[in-house]
Amino acid sequence: MSGYTGGLLVILCLNIVMAYAVFLPVATGQLNLGGAAFQAVGAYTAGYLSATYDLPVVPSLLASMATGAVFAFLFSLLIMRTKSVYLVLATFAFGQFLTGVIINVDALGGSMGLSVPAHVEGWTVILFAGLAMLLTLILMQTRFGLAMRAIHDDDAVSELMGIGVRGVRIGAFTLGGALAGVAGCLYAFYFNFCDVQSFDASSSFYLLLFVLLGGTQTIWGPVIGAVFFTLVPEVFRNVLAYLPAFGHGATSGQVDTSWRFILLGMITIAMMVYRPEGILTRIGLGAIWHGVGLARRGRQGT
Amino acid sequence: MLILQQVANGVLLGAIYVTIALAFTLTIGILNFLNFTIPPIFMLSAMTAWAAAQFGLPFGIFGPMPWTVALAFGIVVAILASLLVERLTFRYLKVRYGDATEHAIPLVSSLGFLLVFQNGIRMAYGTEPHRFITPLGDMSLHLGGIFISLPQVLSLALALIIVFSLSYLLKRTRTGRALRSIAENPDAALLMGVDVARIVPVIFILTGLLCGIAGSIFAVNYGQVYSGMGDEVGNKAIAGMVLGGMGSIWGAIVGGLLIGLVETMSIYLFGGDTVQSVVWGLLLVALVLRPEGLFGHHGIGKGKF
Amino acid sequence: MSPNDAIFSLRGVTKAFAGLKVVTDVSFDVRPGERLALIGPNGAGKTTVFNLISGAYKINEGSIILDGVDIAALPASRRCAMGIARSFQNIRLMPHLSVVENVMIGQHARTRGILELLTPLWMTRARQEAEAQLAAFDVATYPNQAIATLPYGIRKKVEIVRALMSRPKVLLLDEPAAGLNTNETAQLRDFLMRVADGGVTLLVVEHDMSLVRSLCDHTVVLNFGRKIFDGPTHAVQEDPAVLEAYLGRPAHTAATPRAETADHAS
Repeated sequence: MSGYTGGLLVILCLNIVMAYAVFLPVATGQLNLGGAAFQAVGAYTAGYLSATYDLPVVPSLLASMATGAVFAFLFSLLIMRTKSVYLVLATFAFGQFLTGVIINVDALGGSMGLSVPAHVEGWTVILFAGLAMLLTLILMQTRFGLAMRAIHDDDAVSELMGIGVRGVRIGAFTLGGALAGVAGCLYAFYFNFCDVQSFDASSSFYLLLFVLLGGTQTIWGPVIGAVFFTLVPEVFRNVLAYLPAFGHGATSGQVDTSWRFILLGMITIAMMVYRPEGILTRIGLGAIWHGVGLARRGRQGT
Repeated sequence: MLILQQVANGVLLGAIYVTIALAFTLTIGILNFLNFTIPPIFMLSAMTAWAAAQFGLPFGIFGPMPWTVALAFGIVVAILASLLVERLTFRYLKVRYGDATEHAIPLVSSLGFLLVFQNGIRMAYGTEPHRFITPLGDMSLHLGGIFISLPQVLSLALALIIVFSLSYLLKRTRTGRALRSIAENPDAALLMGVDVARIVPVIFILTGLLCGIAGSIFAVNYGQVYSGMGDEVGNKAIAGMVLGGMGSIWGAIVGGLLIGLVETMSIYLFGGDTVQSVVWGLLLVALVLRPEGLFGHHGIGKGKF
Repeated sequence: MSPNDAIFSLRGVTKAFAGLKVVTDVSFDVRPGERLALIGPNGAGKTTVFNLISGAYKINEGSIILDGVDIAALPASRRCAMGIARSFQNIRLMPHLSVVENVMIGQHARTRGILELLTPLWMTRARQEAEAQLAAFDVATYPNQAIATLPYGIRKKVEIVRALMSRPKVLLLDEPAAGLNTNETAQLRDFLMRVADGGVTLLVVEHDMSLVRSLCDHTVVLNFGRKIFDGPTHAVQEDPAVLEAYLGRPAHTAATPRAETADHAS
């Protein structure tokens, strides 16, 4: 696994694992603006264990998954009293707080970042992306998954129908944390390095946008979002380079990434106006599965 | 003395947080909208003011401006940017889908604007700090050993004026009453004859104005502007707003000042690197222990997100 | 009626919002298999009583007894597991779930343990059970159809079937006939009679008195949050207190012209 295409594929797969980590809370109606922070928990757990105790890959992965889950569990347990906008703020504050702490801890490399000796190859990351997808697919087929979707639609009625809304929300958030921990560990081992900048507030924004723009009604939404927003800028990479570097302060590398995020922002705004439910919806998926004609007949309700 | 100096610095930094926190509290209190475009608009106004003073308007329409005109230009840009946000987050959006994330649509949209504004400025003017030179920068007062610069005094006075005129606007004027009725119950406000479509832009104009003023205060006070100032400075106003209590003007004032003091004190006591973890840690603790803040009430932010 | 043979009782239930009492000292008993109507003028507190029973609100005073157990302190989700299910005044089906998935949500209250929660549904008979229940009540629809595309009357039935999937002892129906025409109401009545024949105790809030008369054997009337009548349905219309509540003046003077002019004068 090497070269430009291989590297891109691995980045895509890391994004897919993280997209599912953010998708699980969002699927129960909880916006997570601190997704990258839970990834940082996993990355630094693995990085620290590997750098200090020379722990091999498999136990590090398990440890990252566990710390990610524990952090998410405690966080959601404490914060679950608060709902709605408070939860969004709390996840955001958690992300800011955690990066602020990591910068001050010398054992984690501070602002210099942490070198990680253990390594995983790209195919491991790809394998885990597939695994994350498969597990989410199975989870959403269970009664727990059905309860998650019910809560996403109407939490009050879900509670009255016998669903323990609080428990399901904490559970989904914790599973998301575990997945983020795994993604963080893979990140640290693949790049042999972790630094706070990769897990800052902007990274959390991008992750949430991947998921919401992909669509949260089906489990394929996060993949679609991750693929779209990882690959489309690459496809247009050559075009982006030719876009004007307006203003006075631009350097060539800067222009490329800036245009990429400006495009992502513009697509986000346009999507929220024209298609706020995301690229892929259940009805859309139904149309793909059964053919457009069947779906139309279903809609008319013969 | 050193402590008193820190308090003075904290209060003046707090004045900036108060101004931005007021913008946050207005949109969340009245529209139940966590507007993430506020920090970037704060940055945008300061950066365009700097650019106008340095280069003037593009295509040679207008040469480099004097610093006062440049600041006014920055504020106008902030208001226009805020109105653009209103167009695309609120005006054309109708809630169409009965699920828990529909209320997040404006929030997500504001994240999109954040990316556009931030990266646009970053590309245009780079990430390094730029000096914003004013004649006020060198003037200062000595009050019993404490060193207070003239811009600090002016900005504090300005922040106080804003606060009082804003609470006057909300309490005494027709528009203010209409705004508060939307905060209470948007549907009822519509039935009572409040033209919601007309009144919502007012909130965004106020938001832009507050961000622009905060940007000006920052530029004059610290003599420099940079593209990361929205992230590093503007975002902390969120912490101030929540500590004080969402939707409360007095909460924004107390919370903003509190964050300013906490920040300068933690720099003084523990060093500059600790600010982020102290401020946001404080916010996390506040959200767990007292989510409604010091002056908030339960009604705010109850809508599903 | 002795309280011992009641499956479900309210004892002195009181609820106040910000000091304002909306339900005051309401008590009644429901026997197994009974079909009880809860009626009263607008704002009498009927829906509030439903919300108190189902756990959407917590009561301030009193007790709610189901099968000898006081459930007033339990969270809503536990009450559902103990055998209370409800429908809503304005239909509240999950818009992004299909018909059969909505019905399957009703089974959640019967789920026991984490293992059952995490078993893929296609490995169980949950879906077949839900489809069978839909078929048993002649809900003429495709199981995979989206909720938004269903006719109003069908949606009402789907909501009731969803509630039945939790195998409730007591089923609360909040204005089931609202928005239905005469023909549909008659169909609904037959539908509910079949539900009741299955051994489910019905509690119905309803404005349509013809449906109440033909469906319910027992009626409780509320006015301003207080119980003013509790007895057989056929006796409701002769009760002076009920007539006063509905007509706005003492029943025995209602017909006399003199009282009417006195009313106008005051």
